[in-house]
Amino acid sequence: MKPAEKILWVVAVVGFLIGLVGLVQRITGGHTVAAYNTYVPWGLWVAAYAMLIGVSVGAYLIVALAYGFRLKALQPLGRVALLTALSALAGGLLAIWLDLGHPARFFKLFFSTNVTSVMGVMAWLYVIYGVLLLVLIYLTQREVETGVVRTLSLLGLILVVIFGGAEGSLFGVVGAQALWESGLTPILFLVEGALSGAALVLFLAVLLGRLEADAGQLLRWLVLGLLLGLVVLEWAEFSTALYAGIPARSESLRVILFGPFWWVFWFVHVGLGLLIPLLLLIFAGRSRAGLATAGGLIALAAISTKLNLVIPALVVPEFEGLKTAFTGLGLTFDYFPTLTEWLLMVWVVSLAALIFLAGYRLLKPLASHGG
Amino acid sequence: MSLDRGSEAGPLASEESRRSFLGKFASVVFAGLVAPAVLGDTEPVRAGPAAQAEGLVPVVELPEPVEGEHPVQRMMEDLQRALQKPVEQRKWAMVIDLRKCTGCNGCNVACITENKLPPGVTYRPVMTETHGTYPNVARRFVPRPCMQCEDPPCVPVCPVHATWKRADGIVVIDYDQCIGCRYCITACPYSARSFDSGYFYGDFEGGERQPYELLPSPEYGENRTRADGGSPIGNARKCHFCLHRIERGELPACTLSCMGRATYFGDMNDPKSLVSELIGQPNVMRLKEDMGTDPKVFYLV
Ligand code: SF4
Repeated sequence: MKPAEKILWVVAVVGFLIGLVGLVQRITGGHTVAAYNTYVPWGLWVAAYAMLIGVSVGAYLIVALAYGFRLKALQPLGRVALLTALSALAGGLLAIWLDLGHPARFFKLFFSTNVTSVMGVMAWLYVIYGVLLLVLIYLTQREVETGVVRTLSLLGLILVVIFGGAEGSLFGVVGAQALWESGLTPILFLVEGALSGAALVLFLAVLLGRLEADAGQLLRWLVLGLLLGLVVLEWAEFSTALYAGIPARSESLRVILFGPFWWVFWFVHVGLGLLIPLLLLIFAGRSRAGLATAGGLIALAAISTKLNLVIPALVVPEFEGLKTAFTGLGLTFDYFPTLTEWLLMVWVVSLAALIFLAGYRLLKPLASHGG
Repeated sequence: MSLDRGSEAGPLASEESRRSFLGKFASVVFAGLVAPAVLGDTEPVRAGPAAQAEGLVPVVELPEPVEGEHPVQRMMEDLQRALQKPVEQRKWAMVIDLRKCTGCNGCNVACITENKLPPGVTYRPVMTETHGTYPNVARRFVPRPCMQCEDPPCVPVCPVHATWKRADGIVVIDYDQCIGCRYCITACPYSARSFDSGYFYGDFEGGERQPYELLPSPEYGENRTRADGGSPIGNARKCHFCLHRIERGELPACTLSCMGRATYFGDMNDPKSLVSELIGQPNVMRLKEDMGTDPKVFYLV
């Protein structure tokens, strides 16, 4: 085991153990341990779910490029990418499962699916996607004929684009939330997801010593392209909405840019997630350390875009008068995650990391498929 | 049209029949609270000698009793008529006269009491709006029940068919079906859905749950108690126009308790109902009409 892998194990185990406190609190205290409420019904766990599903989408992009489009340079990263996609999916689903008011009733999503609900449809897409990932892992391990793997990975890409976009539509179709309701939301989700997933694969590939020079350069330009694409999309979104000045929408944007958590946007998202990686990819893109730092920072900051989507939309009251109409516990438009919420998120992410690391240990490197 | 005078003075319009009517509909508590005032049985409040000595103006009379048919009586009749029709021919609606709402929150409290709502759950907050700047300032109070939209955005987003619009237009939730994803809460443009996180008042006041928190809630006629930790804890919850009361032939708690007589309830499919009459006025408006939700709560401004 390489030292970097050992460090990853240690970090994941420590995170898992610390996060366990959050899990116990969630189980014993129900939803009273969380800060989301009637007026801000979704919080950190929903953001974590959206972020992890996005990472899975992005990691799958690498799988599709490696196996579907047969980019030789990326094939050594196939195992890392497949495992990243699977573990991020598992983490995302776990986060949203624990967020449910009645987790034990999750089966209703399959037995009474409402097809007019994006969430209802998504439940099935996740299952199909999860099965596809497992089948791909199985096939690549068995070194089955590459044609089958190729076809499946390409079909999977279509599925991922559909559900990655649908993930955005889950928010985009909510007319009540001016910040979410936009045709751009699904596209933003796809680009953000592709970026964070590809960046995480880049980070892990360097750390685990699996990044060849040509793959490094390919990923470098891919991530750079996605990063610039995201900047363009965000600029389009922010500038038009602020210029149009429709109150509910511009108020949410004002919360993002200048609200109490302005630093999440400026420092975490713009600074750590866009600017520094951009400079690193341009000026230090030939060094592995530069690539790993850029990838790691993008992946780390990915939660900020989802937090800035979920929360600023909800903290803007539907009516100004609601803020003071009937207040008290559970009836506030102020939201900041509780310690339990943070801990549980750490637990979920650490568990996803452990799934990845265990898979990486158990699965053998592949001759014909690389990685 | 004066809202307090029924346009058609019915057979119950006389003082005598009003007495007998009130005797029939009012619960003991309610009758105990309001009947003396309505019936004029109360002795007019007179200023005591001390007040007179201080030169205060003595109050010699209560306001004039309501003339004609009492609106509550009329709404009760409307309700009875509606209940005789098949459910799909009724369309329940609420009218709130913003000129009469005093912002007392009586409806909100009555709703909490009726439905045994815990901390964090509210079906009818009363919003205060201030317009203008000093010295030209006005205040308006806007109660916000569920709008019972004709086209409710909360319904299609529910992934498990746990919420739907009934044939009579009331949007309900099946607490056993709801998985608590809260998607519907985000989809409501009126913030009219709550999440029951599982709080109890007693947990914060001395740590002991109070007897009133252990009472079953009559919602949907299900008599659920939250103390066992099950639904509706973890569910989305919302105003249902006190469906359980309506079906027993009683007015919603907010309507009956409104001391400003600002809230009216009835069947808008019935052209003779009080709400239909009020909705037909030109000074009617609805909240966020541009959302295309077609709310069935109307405001008189
Ligand atoms: S919270 Fe309940 S009623 Fe609302 S969308 Fe989710 S499952 Fe449906």
